[in-house]
Amino acid sequence: MLMAYASVAAFFLVAIGFIIGSMVFGKLLRPNNMYAEKLETYECGEAPVGPAWFNFNPRFYIVALIYIIFDVEIAFIYPVATVFKRWVDQGNGAFALVEILIFVAILMLGLVYVWAKGDLEWIRSIKGDPRGVPNTQSRTRPAAPITELAAEPAAARDALAQGAE
Amino acid sequence: MTPEQIHEKLKTEFGEEVAFDFHPVSNKDRDAWLQVAPFEIERVCEYLKTTPGLSFDYLECITGVDYPDLQKIVVVYHIYSYTQRHRIVLKAFLDRADPAMPSVVNVWSTANWQERECFDLLGVLFEGHPDLRRLLMPDDWEGHPLRKDYEEKEDYHGIPTVRPNPIELYKIKIPGKEEAKAS
Amino acid sequence: MPSDQGALNLMAPPKGWGDDKYRDDGGSVIQTNVDAVVNSLLNWGRSNSVWFMLFGLACCAIELMQTGGPRGDMDRFGSAPRPSPRSSDLFIIAGTLTYKMALRVKRLYDQMSEPRYVISMGSCSNCGGLFQYAYSVCKGVDQIIPVDVYVPGCPPRPEALLEGLLKIQEKIKSEKFLQMRYGTSANP
Repeated sequence: MLMAYASVAAFFLVAIGFIIGSMVFGKLLRPNNMYAEKLETYECGEAPVGPAWFNFNPRFYIVALIYIIFDVEIAFIYPVATVFKRWVDQGNGAFALVEILIFVAILMLGLVYVWAKGDLEWIRSIKGDPRGVPNTQSRTRPAAPITELAAEPAAARDALAQGAE
Repeated sequence: MTPEQIHEKLKTEFGEEVAFDFHPVSNKDRDAWLQVAPFEIERVCEYLKTTPGLSFDYLECITGVDYPDLQKIVVVYHIYSYTQRHRIVLKAFLDRADPAMPSVVNVWSTANWQERECFDLLGVLFEGHPDLRRLLMPDDWEGHPLRKDYEEKEDYHGIPTVRPNPIELYKIKIPGKEEAKAS
Repeated sequence: MPSDQGALNLMAPPKGWGDDKYRDDGGSVIQTNVDAVVNSLLNWGRSNSVWFMLFGLACCAIELMQTGGPRGDMDRFGSAPRPSPRSSDLFIIAGTLTYKMALRVKRLYDQMSEPRYVISMGSCSNCGGLFQYAYSVCKGVDQIIPVDVYVPGCPPRPEALLEGLLKIQEKIKSEKFLQMRYGTSANP
């Protein structure tokens, strides 16, 4: 029984050995020539300005969080898919299907909540809140096409700006 | 409008002291140009841009020329109108010892970098410019390269500014030529 | 006037490894035969994956792009373009070097890790080239950083740049890597 885990242990050891081996050989073989100009922060050739650590946009955190939840859900569905045929052959197909569908339904509630709260948009908007509505009006292209050159450009520019609004 | 008409309009608006010395298109001058008194340049450009018949909305180029024999530095403005489709050239003659004149940045924003280049390479100071610093040369360069009396320094931060000719360095001897030189 | 990027001593030679003192028989690290085999293995690996830093400044950059393109393929030699000096072995300077850019080139060369090589591509980076009498052009990149291979041309054809790359490979293969890394008993 324990021998089944021997192959897992072998994989584990090879992986660790690979990493440790490449690090050790790298350390033995690579030149080590540190001086101040080499240790400067890389900024495309310019002298570095400002700190290297800064706050990132928390929207990335939201995206990652939602991804984790649904990825784990998929990971749980995979084993069910592999043994499903066996359950069908035993006559318990409907039971298995209903069980997995209940699992998915519970997580679907979470998806619906996230969707309705606007967390799936990059710029979060709650339904009805005009601040989050995507801007489909162009601010630079005029509403009507220009058919003739104006003799007075300043007046024409004002007219176009008013037409766009 | 023809350049002569533009000159007439400027003369009636500003007078003979401001817009003068008109040169029509000739074999020597490919564009018609007229001189503008340097310290009135901003008023003249504002007028040229906003007047309905003139409407010069596009500043093509600001350059400078150094005339050491006249002791003048000339700043040349090429302006064009997209709506009226005419072009005129304005020249402002500045004293070479102390070249300074107002900036036209408030009329055309493109003058920002054009005037920076003129300052960098010729040393013309533009008053009223929001950000007058060097554009093409490094920030700590000394001298204005396009002046006729510009002398390059020996080195810049340790980099030598001349390189010896490799042929002279290695003294390649071509047999036939040596005898020809000796004889 | 604000100074450009602070004090940077451009003519200080980069403290390097890879001096030529091991070119002739300079002693051994483990044992001469073992050294030779290990060196040839390491150099074979290094020379067949020379990753170069894309540094196209002017017209030579177009030929550099085409050398990486389908016809003059650089990838068949194992070369891949890298945007950053930290992950590149080779620095191909393609194009005219101005004084303004010279400061950045020095900094980027300093930020590369050893072992590092430089190809100067085209006349402008070899010697100033067409713009040799200009006020803003640095007369050759070897006034700032040490160059290993000069590729002449204006611009050099992709085949010429590939020959430069092959010469770099030859240079790598002829290096005594272990001696340079550890020093020998004869030449510490």
